Amino acid sequence: MNKPQSKQQLVVEDLHLAYGSNRILQGVSMTLNPGEVVALLGASGSGKTTLLRSVAGLEQPNEGRIAIGGTVLYDSSAGVDLPVEKRNLGLVFQSYALWPHRSVFENVAYGLRLRGTNAAEIDKRVSEALSNLGLGALAKRLPHQLSGGQQQRVAIARALVYNPPVVLMDEPLSNLDAKLREEARAWLRELIVRLNLSALVVTHDQTEAMAMADRILLLNSGRIEQQGTPEEMYSRPQTRFTAEFMGSNNHLPGRVAQLVDGRAMLEGEGWRLWGAARGALRVGADATGVIRLERTRIANGSGENRLRTALVTGMFLGDRKENLFELGALRLRCYGDVRTSDDGCYLELPADDLWIFPTEVSHGNT
Amino acid sequence: MIARSFSIPRTMVVAITVLVIFMPIGLIFWQSLLNAPFFNPAHRYGLDSYAFIFEDGDFWSAFGNSVVIAAGMVLIALPLGAALAFLLTRTDLPAQRWVEVLVLIPVFVSPMVLAFGYVVAMGPVGFYSLWAKSLFGDVPWNIYSLASIAVIAGLTHVPHVYLYSSAALKSLGSDVEEAARVAGANPLQVAWNVSLPMTMPALFYAAVLVFFLGFELFGLPLVLGDPEGHLVLSTYLFKLTNKLGTPSYHLMAAVAVCIVAVTFPLVLLQRWLLRTAGKYVSVKGKATRQKLLPLGGWRWVALAIVALWLVFTIVVPISGIALRAFVEQWGEGVKLSEVLTLDNFREVFDQADQVRAIINTLLIGVVGGALAVACYTAIGLAGHRQRGGVAKILDYIVLIPRAIPGLLAGLAFLWIFLFVPGLKELRNSIFSIWLAYTVVWLAYGMRLISSALLQIGPELEESARTAGASSRRVLTDVTVPLIRFGLLASWLLVFMIFEREYSTGVYLLGQGTEVIGSMLVSLWGGGAIDQVAALSLINIALVAVGLAAALRFGVRLHE
Repeated sequence: MNKPQSKQQLVVEDLHLAYGSNRILQGVSMTLNPGEVVALLGASGSGKTTLLRSVAGLEQPNEGRIAIGGTVLYDSSAGVDLPVEKRNLGLVFQSYALWPHRSVFENVAYGLRLRGTNAAEIDKRVSEALSNLGLGALAKRLPHQLSGGQQQRVAIARALVYNPPVVLMDEPLSNLDAKLREEARAWLRELIVRLNLSALVVTHDQTEAMAMADRILLLNSGRIEQQGTPEEMYSRPQTRFTAEFMGSNNHLPGRVAQLVDGRAMLEGEGWRLWGAARGALRVGADATGVIRLERTRIANGSGENRLRTALVTGMFLGDRKENLFELGALRLRCYGDVRTSDDGCYLELPADDLWIFPTEVSHGNT
Repeated sequence: MIARSFSIPRTMVVAITVLVIFMPIGLIFWQSLLNAPFFNPAHRYGLDSYAFIFEDGDFWSAFGNSVVIAAGMVLIALPLGAALAFLLTRTDLPAQRWVEVLVLIPVFVSPMVLAFGYVVAMGPVGFYSLWAKSLFGDVPWNIYSLASIAVIAGLTHVPHVYLYSSAALKSLGSDVEEAARVAGANPLQVAWNVSLPMTMPALFYAAVLVFFLGFELFGLPLVLGDPEGHLVLSTYLFKLTNKLGTPSYHLMAAVAVCIVAVTFPLVLLQRWLLRTAGKYVSVKGKATRQKLLPLGGWRWVALAIVALWLVFTIVVPISGIALRAFVEQWGEGVKLSEVLTLDNFREVFDQADQVRAIINTLLIGVVGGALAVACYTAIGLAGHRQRGGVAKILDYIVLIPRAIPGLLAGLAFLWIFLFVPGLKELRNSIFSIWLAYTVVWLAYGMRLISSALLQIGPELEESARTAGASSRRVLTDVTVPLIRFGLLASWLLVFMIFEREYSTGVYLLGQGTEVIGSMLVSLWGGGAIDQVAALSLINIALVAVGLAAALRFGVRLHE
């Protein structure tokens, strides 16, 4: 496959889209830089697929602007709405959408045929694309003769063969088995890096988003909740929603007892903990402590920010053990080997890792 | 579910089904191998009857005409039906909802009625012909030519093609079309490169179906082919009845076998095509809202063409009948305002046999339809979730009646009622008509029932079994209640089909077995145009009631 020569930036500005009174996108802005992979992450109904399809031209936004480099794809104020086929983008469908009546070769070649490429060139580029994706031997097969993983690769080859400036992928891994998905994830990331693609990937799986993307856009009800590198999104969530979406957490409902420069003391029945204050907290108001499972540690005695709990049960997960502890109404999970002493088990919740969010808005997802 | 080896009700159902299917067809085959009617003691085995018809020039010209008409129908109906399906499923054609309903009307109006409608509307002295004559000085068409019959038959069979191709287009995942758009294809290229090839199996199926229906055509060629003497196989068979002065059953049976020899392979081909048509559907993706192709200014052109077709296939014949039913006579120089009358209807209601025909037609639709659906359900349940040989056999034998044109089936049942001891008493009751109708439409009814049964997930029945229900309890407590709505819908559809049926009753027509359909054939033969018009209009009204009910309750009008 030829490396795309002139890579251009994709810019989406203040995009709005509604079906009747159902507002799907409520002012989304984003950029995708050349050679970058951006993941659109969100629950179903968050608008992530609609955003992707709007870029492709398959959905009709009501307002906003979409451009790639100097080409305006959509601009409500200028009345521009380039038809799908004129946008020159690659799209990998969730269902792959291979044409069942065309062979693998013909599926991939179609985009080139439409662009009037001559036969020899088509032959060369399709073979190159297929061998790039490890499909060289399957060119003559029909889609229904391929495995799910092979179909997915054909769908990717089909979207890449005419060197679109941006490749769009709609849940590219969701149709694969759990086992296969992890392998495909690594393989897809490698492919994107090797071919220096600019890709916009829709997914509902945060692990997938973190593994594949340079940057993540988390969507919530048609708005961008937070965006950043996978590391930022995971370790420094600005909102409760982001914190819940990006990882598995323990929850500690309580009340704010003190607020001291960026720190808050959370108080519950029989316990008090210091944590990092997030959002608008008031002393005396309800708040929830949120901490990643893997940041909750088993300690060997009492101390600062430690809780004395009782072990309820343990679960063997293969690579590690997960334990469930209780403290009054609290249930806390954590990984590791339990050392029980006479006065119960101690868990340490480091103050830097315990985020304290106001309780009012709770649209937790996990 | 493990099939138990034996169950009395199921065995009974299967046995009766086999009997009512193989008795008539067996009788036809046996009769075709005799040199005289089977009740004639002097009959001998031999191929004399085949020899006779193969030497008859009329047989070969009828055979040729059948092929020409059937092929012509395919050539006309296929492109128009496919185009109509594309317009209605993929574009922003105006008035879609209306067109979708109107398109189906020709399927449910009796071809006999339609044919008669064309005669009174566009025949040499039809309403529209005289109107055209006053405009152009001459009638610019002749509906009695072979080509006209093919054109009319083709145009009235557009809905069959439309139904199958629109179903295929609707089940086609929009993602494969979007993928082509993204790859750079414009809407026309998408239609040509993706949608059309992917609906090809359905189109091919529809083509075979239309050819098959063309081969079975009876009402249209009977009415329109008569003036110029164009015979097709079914009308040739019909004319044979009296050709030799005595009942020439052996000759008719030989022709019947010839017809079945063509239609049965076509039925098997259709079944095979239907199976392979599923090949593409399995790859379909997520159904997202389909963006309709904007036609721009062309939408009005497209609508005008569709409207023109609707006018020709529905408005012209039906308005012709409606007008003719309310005039005492019609011809050149007759003024419409001077001949308006209700006498035609009075005449119909004065004749005991015609009143009986109306009552019988209603009974056979309402009561007979319900009983037929009950029978179809029993057969469907007998094969339901059975993996054994019985289910497979049932699957195939219910197809056999599909290959036998109604005219032949009616004839075979006449013989059965005449010559099987103990059945003679039933010959003059409406039961004989009901049995023939039920067997003739068996394949259609079974498709309705099995599509209802297919809606039930096996786990619903399996959970009842697990909870401790016997397989019979599962049928009565789970399966039948779940297909209740499907059964009601089937009843409505079978009602319409039974109202519309005409050829099956032709040979069974007698005192007590009159139905409107066969009455029309007989009255038409006797030249009683006034009553044919009035009865036709009544028939249309009955079908319209069924159609209105079906639309009101949201019944899908095809399987």
